[in-house]
Amino acid sequence: MGIQFYQRPMLDHPIMIVGWPGIGNIGIIAINTLKDILKAEEFGEIESWDFFYPRRVSIQEGMLAGLEFPTNKFYFCRPKKTDVVFFIGEEQPSEGERMYARGEKAYRMANLVLDAAVELGCQRVYTSGACVSMVHHQMKPRVVAVTSTERLREEIQGYLNTILMSELAGRGEGEGTITGLNGLLLAVAKKRGLEGLCLMGEIPDWLSGALLPYPKASKSVLEVFGGILGVDIDLSILEKLEKQIEEMIEGFYAKFPPETKEEYDQRKLVSQATSGTITVQAQIYVDDHFKKGGDEGGERPV
Amino acid sequence: MLTTISKREETRVEKGPFEIHRVPRLEAPYLIVSWRVNDPGDVGSQVTDFLIEKLGGQEIAEIKPLGFFMFGGVRFKGDLVQVPEGKFWVCEKQSLLIFRSDEPAFEHHTFLNLILDFAESHCHAKEFYTVNGAISSIPHSHSRRLLTVFNQSEFKTSLSEYGLEGMSWEGPPAISSYLLWVAKRREIPGVSLWPEIPFYLAAVQDAEAAKRVLSFLNHRFNLALDLGRFEIGAMVQNERIAQLRRENAETDQMVHRLENGESLNEEEQLKLTRDIYDVLKKEN
Repeated sequence: MGIQFYQRPMLDHPIMIVGWPGIGNIGIIAINTLKDILKAEEFGEIESWDFFYPRRVSIQEGMLAGLEFPTNKFYFCRPKKTDVVFFIGEEQPSEGERMYARGEKAYRMANLVLDAAVELGCQRVYTSGACVSMVHHQMKPRVVAVTSTERLREEIQGYLNTILMSELAGRGEGEGTITGLNGLLLAVAKKRGLEGLCLMGEIPDWLSGALLPYPKASKSVLEVFGGILGVDIDLSILEKLEKQIEEMIEGFYAKFPPETKEEYDQRKLVSQATSGTITVQAQIYVDDHFKKGGDEGGERPV
Repeated sequence: MLTTISKREETRVEKGPFEIHRVPRLEAPYLIVSWRVNDPGDVGSQVTDFLIEKLGGQEIAEIKPLGFFMFGGVRFKGDLVQVPEGKFWVCEKQSLLIFRSDEPAFEHHTFLNLILDFAESHCHAKEFYTVNGAISSIPHSHSRRLLTVFNQSEFKTSLSEYGLEGMSWEGPPAISSYLLWVAKRREIPGVSLWPEIPFYLAAVQDAEAAKRVLSFLNHRFNLALDLGRFEIGAMVQNERIAQLRRENAETDQMVHRLENGESLNEEEQLKLTRDIYDVLKKEN
């Protein structure tokens, strides 16, 4: 079990950007897109078989042709401002039927990613995910940050369209949990002396269990990464997917009972900094119309 | 105070992930693997139980279960508690090593490597066979093909005289396919055997399918086993289904359509499975 590097890129104080699937796949869509825009080159992987059951077999005329596991790959690139290492995991290792990583395997995976980070000279890791909030789906999602140090809290102030978790309505002193590896990696990084930040795109609470991608928030996260790396990001790359998803969401929204819609639309009128919770009536509607993912996940307040 | 221990306890050796009762003296044995869960037609269990019984198989070792199986409760079958386990048996005269196991719930890769570790390092096994069941839309009255998946083409060629047929499939892998893959990486030749099981016999014992596998093993290893038990079992089962067909025109018509190569819709498949299951289970 371990890391396999196909080559050793020479990198100058790189940062590491890490993505796993999660609510709305906000983080992984953003990071995968960024990796593609920057034409990052694959250079290694974490062997999958100790973490995952294979998901597909290919058998041809009586011969085992191949077995396919979820991939966990490293990429690198050298944009203007800073060198970057990407790590993208197609699945979170979990014990039992859970969707989000937890337990020993998750801890081992986090440490392997950070072993690579340390070996390559990274001093900072970014993860990305979803922040379930009271945002209206027709509004531009903000990016909500949690950091591992006070200094990074200050740095966040300079990021585009980004707030700290403590600045989000209803989050008290910025308390909560970042479920799964997008959160655990920050904890392990801090323990190992690396800086860590999680950048989470807002997703409306009623869509958080819908098992749909939410590219609108991925775009917000991408914009922030563009600023961090000093590169122009062409966000139109996500427009086709965003349009498809928006049509579906608008379809659900159109079927809201008038009083639910009116109540929900208040979110557009009030400041997003105002605290509030989804009403019982709206929640019943939401629960009736979406299958929950069967597991808690993403980023929620305590 | 002296403690009395049994002969078997005296010889039991804890060795890493294994509990080894004894290491047999075998020259390049063949390993046969079956899985007790996800075993359509109970083919794997029928085959390995029969081999152990008829060839005087002796239990020699076990993979320690902790870390591989779910211990949050207990499964039971036929009112009997089933303890999850993975055990090795040996039939020394025939140079057969048998591994009969539940599918692990965790750490599959480690578990599969342990099977091969024991077979290769302790017993010097040279090739392995897994026994499974392939659920099919064929009717019970048709002959069963024995479908196969090999992990080395040379091994496939070496068994070409046995009338085996190659399987083709893309999709989620069975644990036997995963074992083949692990073995391939270790350059251990292996084949998984998949006799066709009519879908409506998947939940009961399919004697015909077990007989198909045992016939192959009989020839392959010169076992000279009398398979009459399975012939009778299949005849009895076929007669019960025939009786049901005489009594129930709908069942008869559905089986007839399968015999003509037609397919049934989901609802019909469920009904046929339920009707035949009820008859076979009730009379058992």
